[in-house]
Amino acid sequence: MKKIKLVIVGLGVIGRGVIEILLEKKEFLRDMGLDLKVVALCEVDGSIVSDEGIDLKKTLELAGRGELDKHKQWSNSKSIEILGEVKADIVLELTPGNIENGEPGYSHIKGALKNGMHVVTSNKPPIALHYRELHELARGENLELRYEAAVGGAIPILNLHQKCLQINEVESIYGILNGTTNYVLSKMVEDGLSLENALNEAKELGIAEQDPSYDIDGVDTALKVVILANSILDMNVEFGGMKIRGIRDVTPESVELAKKHGYVIKLIGDVRRMEVSPRLIPVDHPLNVSDSLNAVMIDSDVAGELTLVGHGAGARETSSSIYSDVIDIAAGI
Amino acid sequence: MKVEMEMGLKDVPGSLLRSLTPISKHGGNILSVLHHRGEANLVKVKIVFEIKDQKSLELIQKSLREYRINMSEIFVEGRRYYEKKTLSFILIGHVIDSDIRDTIDRINEIGCVSDVDVVMPDPKKKSSVLMKADVDNGSLDKAVTVIEELCRKKNLFFIHSLEK
Repeated sequence: MKKIKLVIVGLGVIGRGVIEILLEKKEFLRDMGLDLKVVALCEVDGSIVSDEGIDLKKTLELAGRGELDKHKQWSNSKSIEILGEVKADIVLELTPGNIENGEPGYSHIKGALKNGMHVVTSNKPPIALHYRELHELARGENLELRYEAAVGGAIPILNLHQKCLQINEVESIYGILNGTTNYVLSKMVEDGLSLENALNEAKELGIAEQDPSYDIDGVDTALKVVILANSILDMNVEFGGMKIRGIRDVTPESVELAKKHGYVIKLIGDVRRMEVSPRLIPVDHPLNVSDSLNAVMIDSDVAGELTLVGHGAGARETSSSIYSDVIDIAAGI
Repeated sequence: MKVEMEMGLKDVPGSLLRSLTPISKHGGNILSVLHHRGEANLVKVKIVFEIKDQKSLELIQKSLREYRINMSEIFVEGRRYYEKKTLSFILIGHVIDSDIRDTIDRINEIGCVSDVDVVMPDPKKKSSVLMKADVDNGSLDKAVTVIEELCRKKNLFFIHSLEK
C-alpha cells in the first residue's frame, strides 16, 4: 500500500467536495493500492494539522456548521506558514483566485513547490497569470504542477492531450468553457427568457454566483483559454493579450433571429485566436449543448476532430479531475 | 474543365501519391505533375488535370483537406478559382439609424451581402439584424476584421458564425 500525504488548502465548495469523494472512495483507492491521508487543512483564518491524518468526517461536519475553529487541532496558523512547515507529498490548492494577481493561490503554489511538494490545483488565475514562472519553479524542483480541474471541470482536456494524443499536433481548440453562460444562453433559446431573467434563474439554482460578472463578461472563459494556449498549443501568451467579449449585449431578439436561421448563440473560447466572444453555432453542431454543460473541440492532425462534453463546474465533477491528477502523481511517487 | 492546382507537400515518402489519389478518385484526368523543392521539408507541386465539373473539384478539395494537404492556388480554365463561404452574422444596436445602407455597402467591398433579416422590437430599442455575406474563403478573416471595425465605429455588437 502506497501512503500519500495530502495538504488541502481551501475548504470551500470544491475543498469540501474533494473530501467527500475521498471518504466515499476510500476503499476504491485502497484497492488501487493508495492510502491517501490528509495531514493538513488550511482555511483563510486558520489551519488543522495532524501528521497521523485528520478525521475528515468530523472536520466536514464542523465546516458545514461554520465551526471549524472548534476542531481540537485548530490553530491560527496561516496557510502559507503551514505550507512552509508541513511535510507532505501533494498539496491540493483549491482556493478561489484573484484575477488581478492570482493570489492567494500564487503564493500557496510557490510555497508548496519550494517546500518540495507536488501541487494539484483547480485555481485558474495563478496558472493563467503566472504560467511560465510556476512551471519553471516546478521543473527546477523536479515536482509536478497539475491543474486539469482549472480548465474544464470534469472534462479531461489536459490529461487527454498528455496521455492519449501524444502523436498529434493540435491545430485548434475551441468551445464552451463556462457553464453559467451556457445555462443563460440555453434558457434564452429554449424558454425565450431575457438575459436578466435567465441569469436570475441561474443564481437561484446556484449555477451562477451572486456577482456573475466574470462569467458573463467572458473573463472566466478567457482564463481557461490562456491556460490551454500555454499548456497544449505552447503559445507562450499572457492573459493581457486576450480579446474578450461577453454576452451582456445578447438580446432575446438576436437569439430568436439566430434560431429562425438555424443557429444558436454560444460563448466560445477560441484558443488559437486567443479570443472569447459570442458566436453563431449551427443547431446541429456538436458544440450545441444545453444547460450548464461545457463542450470542447480539439482538432489535431492524426486524430482529427474530437468533441468532449461534460460538466464544467460543480464540486463533485471538479473532484474527478483533481483526483485524476492526484492519482497520476501518486503513481510516480 | 482544365484545373491547375498548386500545393505544398511534406517531403516524406507517399505524400505525392496521397495528393494524386483524390484527383483520380473523383474522375480527374491528370495531365502533368511538376514539382520542385522549396523551403526545408516542403515540396511545391503543381498538378494539371481535367475534371468534369465544379462539384468534382469541390470533392477533390474536400479529400485533400482531409489528408491535410495545403492547396495554395487553384486556376480553372486559366482563371483564379475562388471558393465562396457564407459568413452569417448578427448586428445588435441601432443598426438602421447608424446607416444600414452604408454598412451593407462597406461589407460589399469585401464580399456580397445576400440576406438581411431585421427585428425591431421598438423604434427606441436596439434592433437585431442578421446578415449573410458571401466571401472568398481566403478572405474570411479579413471580412470579420472589417465588420468588427465597422461595428466599433457604429457602436454595434457583432456576433458571427463559427468558421474553422
